[in-house]
Amino acid sequence: MKLDLSVLTSNTGAILGGFAITLETWIAGVAIGILAGLAIALLQRRGVSPINRLLRLYIEVVRGTPFLVQLFFLYYGGPSIGLQLEAVTAGILGLGIYGSAYFAEVFRAGFNAIPKGQMEAATCLGLSRWQTVRRVMLPQMLVIIVPSLSNTIIVLSKETAVLSVITVPELTGVLTGIGSASYAFTEVLVTLCFGYLLLVEMTAWFGRWAEAKVGRYMLR
Amino acid sequence: MTTPEEQPLDARPPSAAVRARPVMVRLRGVVKRFGANAVLKGMDLDIHKSEVVCIIGPSGSGKSTMLRCMAFLEAYDGGEVFVEDRLLGYSTGRDGQRVRAGDAEINQVRRNIGMVFQQFNLWPHMTALGNVTEAPRRVRGMPRAQANELGMRMLEKVGMAPRAHAYPAQLSGGEQQRAAIARALAMEPHIMLFDEPTSSLDPELVGEVLQVMKQLARDGMTMVVVSHEMGFAAHVADTVVFIDQGLIVAQGPPQEIFQGEQHPRLQQFLQNYLERNAFWTR
Amino acid sequence: MDSLHSMMQTLPLLLHAAVATLLISVVSLCFAFLIGVAVCAMGFARSRLLRGLATAHVHFFRGVPLLVQLLMLYYLLPGAGINLSSLTAALIAVSFCSSAYMAEILRGGFLGIARGQVEAARMLGLGGLQTLVRIELPQALRLTLPALVSEVILVIKASSLVSVVGVAELTRTAQNVAASNYRPLETYFLAGAVYFALNSVLARLGHLGERRMARAHQS
Repeated sequence: MKLDLSVLTSNTGAILGGFAITLETWIAGVAIGILAGLAIALLQRRGVSPINRLLRLYIEVVRGTPFLVQLFFLYYGGPSIGLQLEAVTAGILGLGIYGSAYFAEVFRAGFNAIPKGQMEAATCLGLSRWQTVRRVMLPQMLVIIVPSLSNTIIVLSKETAVLSVITVPELTGVLTGIGSASYAFTEVLVTLCFGYLLLVEMTAWFGRWAEAKVGRYMLR
Repeated sequence: MTTPEEQPLDARPPSAAVRARPVMVRLRGVVKRFGANAVLKGMDLDIHKSEVVCIIGPSGSGKSTMLRCMAFLEAYDGGEVFVEDRLLGYSTGRDGQRVRAGDAEINQVRRNIGMVFQQFNLWPHMTALGNVTEAPRRVRGMPRAQANELGMRMLEKVGMAPRAHAYPAQLSGGEQQRAAIARALAMEPHIMLFDEPTSSLDPELVGEVLQVMKQLARDGMTMVVVSHEMGFAAHVADTVVFIDQGLIVAQGPPQEIFQGEQHPRLQQFLQNYLERNAFWTR
Repeated sequence: MDSLHSMMQTLPLLLHAAVATLLISVVSLCFAFLIGVAVCAMGFARSRLLRGLATAHVHFFRGVPLLVQLLMLYYLLPGAGINLSSLTAALIAVSFCSSAYMAEILRGGFLGIARGQVEAARMLGLGGLQTLVRIELPQALRLTLPALVSEVILVIKASSLVSVVGVAELTRTAQNVAASNYRPLETYFLAGAVYFALNSVLARLGHLGERRMARAHQS
């Protein structure tokens, strides 16, 4: 099986462009997911029941339905309610929503793992709610949740491939396009494998580094 | 320490007679290292048929390691272990070098050894009877009815028949250990190894297990027991072996070891033991 | 009310397709489990080659997106002369992908079993396979049941990707329906609802199973 790299070398621009879109949608999606997830987890802690139930439902629905169907709903169904999204935007939004449900659970587990006494002490000392969260809870939570955060971020990086189905020109989309045009499927798919393995392994490595770094300053 | 109903110096044959019997397990210069640390520094020991050998010594001396090497649960690094005249764990490779034997061969050589562990190691998802019948059924291909009958007989032997259908989680420590002994006996071993069989038990439960072991000894089982139960060593063993820092320091019949002239380290060990246990003399 | 009417018409079609989704998922999960157990056992082997293969398997099938694995199977094999139906390609891809996750889940379960149990089995003469199947697996399953239930749900969701190679399961059917009735919002909403219902039932069954197992082994 001979690998004809010319297919790849003659399309480097497009391939790199695709990779850039993968990174763009991934990072944006993760950012939205983390912010939204944190917001959801914080809201849930306030304990107001009807909002809580709604948020719970949101999390269960987003985690209980396939990402692809959510994307179709947003991208193809959106126009019916006046939401005309570009493919990339829909992709980022979809990733953000999908990620927010998982990140919310990660943060929830993190919050639950901190002894209640910590918050009580902070309140007694006069810290405001937000200060308590930012200065007391989040730093401690970090050690516990870094592995789960890293895992979810990796999952989202792989889900960017699904974006190709709604015509987002990310790595998979671009390369399969090249493959179809030139019938050089082997080269294309091998490159795809390498690309994602690289991305995933690097993120995993970074996650382990972060775990070690954060863990150093914390009492177990 | 000693139970009321046992007579001092149970009738054991004289040690010369014991030593004349065939050798079941032979250790020659056995060395075991964990990293740079040599836990066993060259052990020589013969275990004869129907002999009861008690291995005593301070913790960290290598007693358990030696027992586990006899069963090849730890791969020893130097020397040889022979089980019924067959080399255990290693064979000669193509170029004359010693290579680790395959799993099948290891299992073959040690199939006549039964082992009782400090943590019992009963399988929690099976009843006591299930535990006892598992090996006869899976390894010997015994049909279920026959295996159950064998299992009940073994459990009766150790006094566990009424609890045959209980799960390990429902049994006391003593009951679990007795069931574990029955499990080992069901495979009709020629040699039984006991790795601190009563060390994990509450004091009140130790007696029932020692009773079972005493009966086994009376029935002529070849036994190697690592234990802190000096009463058992004094009254049931044919040979007591004192190990310290990876070497056999003293070895002989209980009378010699406990009452004869003693190696200084043995003296120190027994002194420590007495101070901790014979509290009424103070 | 037009929406409602169209949804009521679509539902039977989607439910019918949901059966296909379930079948694909169940078959893939069975194979994934078998492969996963094998890979997991390899991960504990003495041979460094076997351990390396196990690690490579897990890294590859967890590192490459399922979609890419699916496309590989569907587009590459014809070049090598093997022509698979889209369904077969889908089953193989999902099985292998899930097997990597199964292997990792089971690895955690096996690590939770006291080593002494295996030593006892060895001393009683049980061989490697017997010990694995009779002693280790039952306990590993009990320890990892929640994670396994999660994996079942993940596979059902992942099965939606096989629509890309044309397999007529729930998502593909929804796409076809949406293309013909021009109501993508309602159709995909309904499809999502069917998946959600399916997964909720499975999650509930999983919890019941966990509780029953916990009770059965209590003293």
